[in-house]
Amino acid sequence: MNRENKKRKYDKKYYRTHPCTDSFTCKICGWPVVSAGAGTNHRNHCPNCLYSIHLDNEPGDRESECHGRMEPIGVWVRKNGEWAIIHRCIRCGKISSNRVAADDNPMKLMALAMRPFGSSVISRNEIREMTLSMEER
Amino acid sequence: MKGIKDQIKTYRCLNCGWTSLFSETESMPDHCPNCLSGIHVEDEEENECGGILEPVGIWVRTEKEWEIVQRCQFCGEMRTVPVTEKDNRIKILSIASKPISSPPFPVERIEELTRIMGGSGDTGGKQK
Repeated sequence: MNRENKKRKYDKKYYRTHPCTDSFTCKICGWPVVSAGAGTNHRNHCPNCLYSIHLDNEPGDRESECHGRMEPIGVWVRKNGEWAIIHRCIRCGKISSNRVAADDNPMKLMALAMRPFGSSVISRNEIREMTLSMEER
Repeated sequence: MKGIKDQIKTYRCLNCGWTSLFSETESMPDHCPNCLSGIHVEDEEENECGGILEPVGIWVRTEKEWEIVQRCQFCGEMRTVPVTEKDNRIKILSIASKPISSPPFPVERIEELTRIMGGSGDTGGKQK
């Protein structure tokens, strides 16, 4: 075993400090994913369907035994203004946040961000009542 | 921990100072109905944290139920809590619309961008 492979196997934080150049096929949508083009050295999710796989407990340790699908449930804006995708593991419910990559499907991202506005939890009627009560003296 | 005073079911938020009253039958909320923040009592490994859980996103779980995604300002752990009827509607909408107001790509170009990726991006406007 050469030195680099040994390091990869025994250094728990190997992928935290080293880029991961593995290519993979997305287990959910079958999209062939290569490491290039993400704008980051640590590709985390499929750029097409935005799903991820639960591999890490701490970033880069590959220690999790869950390996469940991580469903994108929303986006949020970090302090520096960039978006991050919120992933939730379908099997164990763990929630993690990940930076968007440069080649992520913009339509899927936008759909995630728009999702609350197409739902009926806060209906248009409710908003209308709210504005009316605010306008009245 | 959550500001329970004399057992009369008042919830006082340690983040924004909002006080809300709850009747005997209601259970105490796990987040403030006004600012939607909570206190991170313990993390997944059951260590004490005590940081403020700041609301960062809205998860549309099903058509009828939403959850607030909170992130601890201290340790960065994320969790979700269900939206209740008493929650501040405007605050929820404000959190939900935050990503739309600072998109990572020009919104005007979204149809074009998606076409490059091989999808079909329809941004409305019924004339075709």
